[in-house]
Amino acid sequence: MTVTDTPTVPAPRASRRLTTSKAMVEAIAHEMERNPEVIYLGEDVGAYGGIFSSTTGLLDRFGPDRVIDTPISETAFIGLGIGAAVEGMRPIVELMFADFMGVCLDQIYNHMAKIHFESGGNVKVPMVLTTAVGGGYSDGAQHSQCLWGTFAHLPGMKVVVPSTPADAKGLMTAAIRDDNPVVYMFHKGVMGLPWMAKNPRATDDVPDGEYEVPIGKARVAREGGDVTVVTLSLSVHHALDVAETVAEDGIDVEVIDLRSLVPLDRDAILTSVSKTGRLVVVDEDYRSFGLSGEVVATVADHDPTLLRVPVQRVAVPDVPIPYSRPLEYAVLPRHDRIESAVRRAVAV
Amino acid sequence: MTEVPFPQLSKERPDAEGVLSTWFVTDGQAVAADQLLAEVQVDKVSVEVPAPAAGVVHLLVEEEAAVRQGEPIARIE
Repeated sequence: MTVTDTPTVPAPRASRRLTTSKAMVEAIAHEMERNPEVIYLGEDVGAYGGIFSSTTGLLDRFGPDRVIDTPISETAFIGLGIGAAVEGMRPIVELMFADFMGVCLDQIYNHMAKIHFESGGNVKVPMVLTTAVGGGYSDGAQHSQCLWGTFAHLPGMKVVVPSTPADAKGLMTAAIRDDNPVVYMFHKGVMGLPWMAKNPRATDDVPDGEYEVPIGKARVAREGGDVTVVTLSLSVHHALDVAETVAEDGIDVEVIDLRSLVPLDRDAILTSVSKTGRLVVVDEDYRSFGLSGEVVATVADHDPTLLRVPVQRVAVPDVPIPYSRPLEYAVLPRHDRIESAVRRAVAV
Repeated sequence: MTEVPFPQLSKERPDAEGVLSTWFVTDGQAVAADQLLAEVQVDKVSVEVPAPAAGVVHLLVEEEAAVRQGEPIARIE
């Protein structure tokens, strides 16, 4: 298992700078062009272009038969997507906020995720469920959650979480072509939206043309020898910022971008921790019963003596995410908390 | 030489200021016609600014700068 040579960006390919949202749309448009069975449906995905710019321009290019604005009934339109997928189409269905899973979870985890198994492997559900996640912009407790640990806990779905424009495109292409249901969770803070807080890492080089980023392979976002930060999504950007800050004090941080929870690239975690002996997990989901515990258990199951010091977990404490900006920043895994955890890990 | 103006987004207020949200190119870069140069916004409405011609682009305003609609944001030579 070599995580360092994952072929995200083949060398000779031409590229352009794009935001994550534009890269994601580019992948969807490529796949819609090459396969008439690919359609996109959800709330405000047509004329509005997706409230987080996940579908900008697709209606003009592909028309209302393939880019479909739905009524506000997630159970109905996710069920519609599942039916279309079972019949051989490749629908992409957008759940506007992951927080809204509560009104449609039966379709997601009892049907989308289980039909393949319940049919003895005879029926495939090649569907992508896209959904916006994450906080940091005062949208309150019902519009700021990540919840990827909940999706990943329920068997039968792949769960991908891109952090960069290039990965957003390659993972979307892989998700659409995958014969399994794939939940594609995009953090609003990595999309490069002009009306959100400026995130310079949300605009980056994106290879031209078609390519896949394989689902289940982590990426070493930064190589380092002193301490491993295992993280994903927007927190990758924060961790890279922190790595630059503490490098001035001679602390060499390795940042692992998981890219997906299911499959979880446990080998990448173990390879890095074997090298550094120090582990910080940064997860914007709730702390208990989730991804951060799973990452730590991965090391403990394999060989707890890899760890030279106790693990540091930086996650959302088990409370609803506050609306108030200072309170929200206090619970989110932002630079200050990540930096403190990294310094604690190397202080021992 | 081709000037690239900040597009007219608000018809009701033609002299309204907007913001240069994101540059997708760097100063001195060679660009193709129709290549994406920038994203700008006025009152939370954003549009893309493509290159009107091929050439070397010179950026005239910084990211996050407030710019009146119609004013030049770049030159292409």
